[in-house]
Amino acid sequence: MAQILVVDDSGTVRNEVSDFLKANGLTVTPAVDGKDGLDKLKSDPGIKLVISDVNMPNMDGITMSEKIRSELNNNAVNIIILTTENNPAMKERGKAAGIKGWIVKPFNGEAVISTLKKLVA
Amino acid sequence: MHDITQLVSKVLVLDELGMGFDSLKAFYEECGLVGIRAQKNDAASVMAILKSNVDLGGIMLHENFNDNGLALARDIHAMRPELPIFLRRDAIASVAGLSEKDAAIFRCAYTLNDLQVLRESLAASIFNRIYPNDLVRGITQITSIALGAVFRNCEIEVETPYLVKDRIIYGEVFSMIAIESSWCRGYMMLQAEEDAMMDMIQNSAVAEQGKVTFRALNNVLSEATNLVWGAFKNRYVGQEQNKDNLLLTQVPIIINHQRHFISFGSDDPQLCIRYVLRDSQAQAAPVVLFQRFVFNLNWSPDQFRETTVESLVDSGELELF
Repeated sequence: MAQILVVDDSGTVRNEVSDFLKANGLTVTPAVDGKDGLDKLKSDPGIKLVISDVNMPNMDGITMSEKIRSELNNNAVNIIILTTENNPAMKERGKAAGIKGWIVKPFNGEAVISTLKKLVA
Repeated sequence: MHDITQLVSKVLVLDELGMGFDSLKAFYEECGLVGIRAQKNDAASVMAILKSNVDLGGIMLHENFNDNGLALARDIHAMRPELPIFLRRDAIASVAGLSEKDAAIFRCAYTLNDLQVLRESLAASIFNRIYPNDLVRGITQITSIALGAVFRNCEIEVETPYLVKDRIIYGEVFSMIAIESSWCRGYMMLQAEEDAMMDMIQNSAVAEQGKVTFRALNNVLSEATNLVWGAFKNRYVGQEQNKDNLLLTQVPIIINHQRHFISFGSDDPQLCIRYVLRDSQAQAAPVVLFQRFVFNLNWSPDQFRETTVESLVDSGELELF
């Protein structure tokens, strides 16, 4: 089964997203911030997709994405941002970091599940 | 652009004044009220005005307006809860005879014989500090949507926003997050009673299974705060800030306190909005949630403007790059 890394400092969001993905046949690895997400991705090369918040303690989601590309040299994993932020400047920074897509919270799984499945296929 | 040099406020006058019109008009001018009237008195026309005049300061309503002022007041309150409604009565200067729920709609009740109670109510309700009505209305919208996203089985009731000067914290737990823009700097807080909120989370919050602990409450309140904060930034901050500032990140601060007191070093009144969360399945008691804004570091409402009309209603879609 496709492995998805869910990175969010909010336990509420982590649970909500993880439960939804599991119910749709996907396997989930949770991470509590960008630093934790980077460590989890480093230790599990089977992860196909990262869904990450932006505003988190220790390391934000954009910085984590930049490090996934630059430090881990991982250009294969798709990264989707799930955040309250809808700022064009931040999106541009995300694009430059190789982020594949952007979802503005709150999470609506039904609206995005088919695309997520394609990304991990 | 909002004029903050003159303490005036537009009020919608729903009052078919006869002999008393001249005296009330003079009173309005004295208090800094700019009265506007509906061309037609029917409810549909009044609602149309409310949709177009988003910068109203309040409603001046006569109890017998269009034969049923109370019914109109209920509709107005449901549509624009941020607008205080001042009720003119013929006989008694109080809300006596109204149900508790109906009485709560009105900021005060007065008669033409004694306008002092109205004067005091106007000063307390509208003129203490200028908060653009567009902003207040927008805050209640984005907060209601955010709370609805976290408490999915709840009906969200918004009561009329008001200004407070006390520094007492409601309940035992609250979140606090910085609000930063070129025109305001301060904090937003959400305050609630722990036990009542935990019962509500047990029944209505998303993604919380099993026995709810105070940590789960922290998670839910934090996420609600985060959703409001993000929507506020998207709607009112936009790209006007320095790009370096926009890229700074913040996380909600949760404080659970003993003394129920907080000071921001400022005596300015805070904008306060009271929400009531009602479990639609009636398994939990209603929960009161207080939202407070204290712009203690910068407050320049003359520079306020809405940068986008996007709301969380349209969120949840995946934008592929």
